[in-house]
Amino acid sequence: MTSWLPEPSWSALLLSLKVAGCATLLNLLLGSAVGLFLARARFPGRDLLDTLLTLPMVMPPTVLGYYLLTLLGRRGPLGAWLLDRFGINLIFTWQGAVIAASVVAFPLVFKPARAAFEGVDGQLEQAGRVLGISEAAIFFRITLPLAWRGILAGLLLAFARALGEFGATLMVAGSIPGKTQTLSVAIYEAVQAGQDDNANALVLITSAVCVGVLLLAGRLSPGRLQER
Amino acid sequence: MQVYYGELPDETLLMKTQCLTLSLCTLLLAGHAQAAEITVSAAASLTNAFKDIAHHYEAQYPGSKINFNFAASGALLQQMSKGAPVDVFASADQETMDSAIKQKLVNAADRKDFARNALVVITPTDSKLKLQQLADLQQAGIKHIALGVPASVPVGRYAQRALENAHLWTAVGSKAINTQNVRQSLDYVARGEVEAGFVYQTDAAIMPDKVKIAFSVPLDEKISYPVANTAESSNAVEARRFVNYLLSPASQAILARYGFQKP
Amino acid sequence: MSHPRFDLHIRQQLRTGERHFELNARLQTDCQRVVIHGPSGAGKSLLLKAIAGISTPDAGFIRLDGLSLFDSDSGIRLSPQQRQLGYLFQDYALFPHLNVRQNIGFGLRQGWRNPGRRHASTDVDYWLEAFGLQQQACQLPATLSGGQRQRTALARALVARPRALLLDEPFSAMDPALRSQLRTELSTLLQTLSIPMLLITHDMEDVHHFAQQALCMQGGQLCGSPVATLPDLQASLA
Repeated sequence: MTSWLPEPSWSALLLSLKVAGCATLLNLLLGSAVGLFLARARFPGRDLLDTLLTLPMVMPPTVLGYYLLTLLGRRGPLGAWLLDRFGINLIFTWQGAVIAASVVAFPLVFKPARAAFEGVDGQLEQAGRVLGISEAAIFFRITLPLAWRGILAGLLLAFARALGEFGATLMVAGSIPGKTQTLSVAIYEAVQAGQDDNANALVLITSAVCVGVLLLAGRLSPGRLQER
Repeated sequence: MQVYYGELPDETLLMKTQCLTLSLCTLLLAGHAQAAEITVSAAASLTNAFKDIAHHYEAQYPGSKINFNFAASGALLQQMSKGAPVDVFASADQETMDSAIKQKLVNAADRKDFARNALVVITPTDSKLKLQQLADLQQAGIKHIALGVPASVPVGRYAQRALENAHLWTAVGSKAINTQNVRQSLDYVARGEVEAGFVYQTDAAIMPDKVKIAFSVPLDEKISYPVANTAESSNAVEARRFVNYLLSPASQAILARYGFQKP
Repeated sequence: MSHPRFDLHIRQQLRTGERHFELNARLQTDCQRVVIHGPSGAGKSLLLKAIAGISTPDAGFIRLDGLSLFDSDSGIRLSPQQRQLGYLFQDYALFPHLNVRQNIGFGLRQGWRNPGRRHASTDVDYWLEAFGLQQQACQLPATLSGGQRQRTALARALVARPRALLLDEPFSAMDPALRSQLRTELSTLLQTLSIPMLLITHDMEDVHHFAQQALCMQGGQLCGSPVATLPDLQASLA
C-alpha cells in the first residue's frame, strides 16, 4: 500500500492525524467545559470573555504562533517555568504542535457548544430535578444527549482546521520530518524544493480527508432525530 | 464656430470618448508599472545589505524603484518557475542559479558573481558550551541545531556537505531543526530555542548582542553569490542596470560593511 | 397531631426591566384537592414553582403535611430533588430524546445513564396499562397526540409515588372536547390517590371539576376566603 506514496507522505499523514486528533480531543474537553460555563454563568464580563476566547479564530495564525512561541519558548514566562519545574520544552515537539492546533481551533468548539447548551430547554432540566435526579445525572442524561450533535458538528470543523494548521505550527513546532512535519508543512517544503509530485500527492490526501470530514459534519447536523 | 444645443454631433462625442479611455488606461497603467520599477528576488541573507544598496541606487537614479522579495533561494526559484514576474534574481549559491539557467529562467550570459560569504556556527551569547569545531557538535549539551532545509535553502546544503565531509552527518544530522530560511535559523538561536545554528557570517553580524560566532566552518567550496537579470523580465534595461550597479564600488563597499567578501 | 396538608406563606420580588412583580401568598388548608385560579400573570406559576423548589422565595415558609420544604427563618431549603413532589408542567416537558417508557421510568433510576429503550419495570408497566399507553411505549414524544403526551407526563410524575401532585394548567394546551375527556380521566385517577393535589388554572371548569377548595389569585396574592366547598366529585359523576 505504501508503494504508491513516497515515504515522507506517510509519516506526515500519520503525524497530522495524531496532532489533529489530540488537539480535537483537548478541545472537546476544554471547549465543552467553557461552552457550558458560558451558557450557564451570569456575570458582568461574560460576553467580553466570550469575545476574548473567540480571538484565535480571527487572528492570523502567524500572530498566534508568535504569541505561543514567546510564551512557551525557553525564555518565555510559561516555557521557562515548564522547563524549570518539569524539564518540559514544548517547542519543536509534536505536543507543541498539538497546542498550536488546539488554540487555533478552540473557538470552533466552544461557540457551538455554548449555543448547543443554551438551546437545551431549561424546563427539561427542571423536570429532571423535580423527578429527583442529581445535577450531574441531569447533565449526562438530559443536557448532553440534547446538545451533543451541536458540539460534534463544531468538533468536526475543529478537526479539519487543526489538520490544516500551518502558520502557528511552523513557528512553534518547526518542521522535523517524522516528528513535527505535518501535512501542511510537508506540502510547503515540497513546493519550495520543487518536488511537485510529492506536493501533489500530499495535497490530494489532505483534500480527501478534509472533504470526508465536512461530509460527516453535514450528516450530523442537528434536527435528524429518528424514531427508535 | 457653430454652437449646438441639445445633442452633440457624433464626431465630438467620439473624440471625448477616446480621450476618456486614454486617460483611464494611462491611470491604470501608471499604477501598474512606472518607467523604472523592478522586482528583485534575493536570498534571505542579503536582506539588510540589499535594502541599503537600493536606497543608494534610487538616490542615484531618481525615478527608479526596487521592489524586494526575500526568501530562501530555492523557494525563490520555485516562484519564478511557476511564473512569478521577477526582473532580477540573486541566489546564495551557484547550484540554484544553475537550476534557473537549466529552466531557461535566466540566460547564462547574464550571470555575474557579486559577493562571497562564509559559513559559521553560532550560539546564543550566554551559551557556556565549548564549541571550536564541527566534532564538538556531538556533545550532549547540544540538543537542537538550527539548519536550513537542504532541499531548498543553500545554507542548509553547505552545512550538510561540511558535515558529510567530516563524516558527522549521521551523528549531528539527527539534532537538526530544519528552518525555512537562514534568518529563521538566526532567530531560533537568538531566542535560545536551539543551542547552535548554521548561518552565514553576515547574518551573525546582524545580531551581535544576541548571538556569538563559535567557529568558522571549513568548506571545500567557496560560497559565491551569483546575480542575473531574468529572461522574461518586463524591464530588461533597468534590470541590467541594477545588476551592474551591484558590481560597482559603491555597492561593494556596502556589502563589505555587512561582512560580505569580494566576489 | 395532624398537620395542615398545605401550609405556606411566601414572599418574592421579581424585577424584569421596568416591571416589578411582588408575590405574597398565604395558604393553609386541610383539603386534599386545592385549585388556585386566576388570570395570567397573577403569579400562580411562580407559587407552584416555589413549592416544587424550582424557584426560591425571598422569605417565608412552605410546609407540606408538616414537613418543612422551605423556611427562611431557620435556613431550611430542600432542593427540588429532595422534595419528592410530582410536577406536571404546562407543556409537559417530556424528554424528546427518550421514548414513553423511558420518560415514565426516568425518575426511578438514579445513575448517569438513562433506562434502556425496552427496560422492563413493574411500576412503569402498571402506569402504561393504567393510561392505555402500551402501544405507544416505544414511541418518542414528538409522535404522540396531545392527550397521550399529557398522560405520559402524568405517569412520569406519579410513578415515583410523590408526596403531592402539582399541576400547572394541565388542560390549557388542548381543544375543548379533549379537555373534558381528560378532566374526567384525571378526576377518576385522583380519587384513587391519597396524596394532596394543587392545581393552578385560569379555567373555571377546572375549579368545578376538581376543587375541594378553590382559591383565587390576583396580583401575587391569594385573595379572600376560600370558596365554599363544592359537591364531592364522586357525587357529581354518579
